[in-house]
Amino acid sequence: MFRKILIANRGEIAVRVIRACREMGIPSVAVYSEADRTALHVRIADEAVFIGPSPAAESYLDMDRLVEAARRTGAEAVHPGYGFLAENADFARRLEREKLVFIGPNADALELVGDKVRARRTMEKAGVPIIPGMKTTPTDIAEFEAAAAALGFPVIVKASAGGGGKGMRVVNAPESLAAALDAGRREAKSAFGDESVYLEKYLEAPRHVEFQVLADRHGRTVHLFERECSIQRRHQKIVEESPSPALDPELRAAMGETAVKAMKAAGYDNAGTVEFLLDAGRRFYFLEVNARLQVEHPVTELVTGVDLVRQQIRIAAGEPLEFGQEDLHQRGHAIECRVYAEDPARNFLPSSGRILVFEEPKGPGVRHDGGIAAGWDVPIFYDPILAKLIVWAEDRARACDRMAAALSDYVLLGVRTTIPFLREVIAHPAFREGRLDTGFIGKHFEGWSEKPAGVETTRLALAAAAFADATGMGRRSSGATDASGPSSAPTPWTSIGRWRMGRE
Amino acid sequence: MEFEYLLDGTPRKITLERLESGWTIRDGEAAAQVEIRQISEHELLLLSGDTAHRVLIARDGDRLFVRLDGREVLLTEPGEHRGRSAGGEAGASGDGRRIIAPMPGKVIKVCVAAGEAVRKNQTLVIVEAMKMENEIKAASDGAVVKVHVTAGELVDAERTLIELEPAGTPKEAK
Repeated sequence: MFRKILIANRGEIAVRVIRACREMGIPSVAVYSEADRTALHVRIADEAVFIGPSPAAESYLDMDRLVEAARRTGAEAVHPGYGFLAENADFARRLEREKLVFIGPNADALELVGDKVRARRTMEKAGVPIIPGMKTTPTDIAEFEAAAAALGFPVIVKASAGGGGKGMRVVNAPESLAAALDAGRREAKSAFGDESVYLEKYLEAPRHVEFQVLADRHGRTVHLFERECSIQRRHQKIVEESPSPALDPELRAAMGETAVKAMKAAGYDNAGTVEFLLDAGRRFYFLEVNARLQVEHPVTELVTGVDLVRQQIRIAAGEPLEFGQEDLHQRGHAIECRVYAEDPARNFLPSSGRILVFEEPKGPGVRHDGGIAAGWDVPIFYDPILAKLIVWAEDRARACDRMAAALSDYVLLGVRTTIPFLREVIAHPAFREGRLDTGFIGKHFEGWSEKPAGVETTRLALAAAAFADATGMGRRSSGATDASGPSSAPTPWTSIGRWRMGRE
Repeated sequence: MEFEYLLDGTPRKITLERLESGWTIRDGEAAAQVEIRQISEHELLLLSGDTAHRVLIARDGDRLFVRLDGREVLLTEPGEHRGRSAGGEAGASGDGRRIIAPMPGKVIKVCVAAGEAVRKNQTLVIVEAMKMENEIKAASDGAVVKVHVTAGELVDAERTLIELEPAGTPKEAK
């Protein structure tokens, strides 16, 4: 086993991997940029190395600095998390040359599945059903126009190097094709450093169902069942669950076998996910392979009892899987909600700033994977994901109840988050009934805004604010702007000696 | 004593009066007696009748974040109104002339030049934050008076990006 692991990532996923290392008795090394000096992953790792300025290109994406950090600390392996360099074959090869182990798939498989267009060709050849669309990435607009005309609108622009919704644009009519290609290329270039894009037929309102796969380096490949991730905004998953309400045992078995076949065709090892779109006629199509640990991996962990990060590390160290397909079962139901630093009241614009008060929900079956802490400033430079709230219960209805309660208990003041929105998604009758598809948010939450608080709640909130203003309460951690007034009272009862107007 | 806050841009007044034990809250015609117990730096208990409300409260500049009954209420100190549109579209500023950055980020592309005529909903500037592109659009037809930013520039929230002269009557009604 490795003597030390460097985590080439930040935020909640870095925290998650550091915790797995700790359980396995492996010392961990965090890396951090200027903006992340006081971030949670830096605080909890055994060691932390500064790797550069805030923009990711000069820190988390800088291979030289990461390799240097690994050298300096004596790390033997590198866990890339998700995003950043997680699916970068050049990084995997570079580590290999430097005699460091990349905790992920082999570079050839990574390269194959990372090239979405090549992956589509490979899967088609292996007998895996694919979505109709282009199998090349031309630069000439005429070729895109011809392909779009042949497929029929709507089509979707996708980044060949893509994933996670970046670079994707739905195009409904020929006249918007050029602008969509332009925007897709720019976003792809910025997110992946590669601006190749292609077109696929845009399937309207399918379900997104993906299968978690683990493959060791001794020829054993198993799947850990599905996750349904149909609840998406701007092509970003926001709620995921396992099992999928759409699958019965036969369909699950067929898709699981196809997922294993797909990974074998790609020569894949370590943890990976095969994404499918499932249409209303129960036909499924290969979407792409996510060659990494995924954001939504905890729902699989909760229903199968398998620690995926631990398995990733074991596989990378050359150890064989300790279980076969027949040993794996789904038990109960798990749901995950992603908490983003986006303001639902302002059209989900990114929201940065200081986290002033933070309380994570607790209780039976409640898991919180977060990379945040009170007093920390959410930077503008990275993905807006702050944390994930995951619940497990005996069945789906109880899991929904548990998630609703946990979201109500979630306190994060200072930065606007998607929590109020998530609460309404989970409470929606269509969600409760499992009637999900990728058009769910557009259909049920178009132009959504949170209902204002009730009269009584508003009144008490105003009274509490007035009390706080009168006593100077809640000021201390708000920055250095105001030192007047006592910030906490010595006795539980606060007496007010001096009145002030609300305005100073 | 009277206090005033902005709630979703609307001024709200509230009066607190000290009693022998507890407080009277007055909100217009409505009045209630409560006990207020401070638990910690950010936490209060409001005891109103036979119900206790746990309140969490935090301040960031002129903004007060108040959470109770499972709800978050954002109040702003009046006076330094910062021109935030409560539920508006990206970039729509108070008067529709000054197009502001809706959040801190990086200007990816400036799509218009000074003197150019623009249509409602035309993309003026693209600002990237947290790896997502946000298109800042014109709230109405008009003409670009001045462009204040260039591509590649980092901007703070509410920084003026572009000044527009809204058209009195749309020139090319289509």
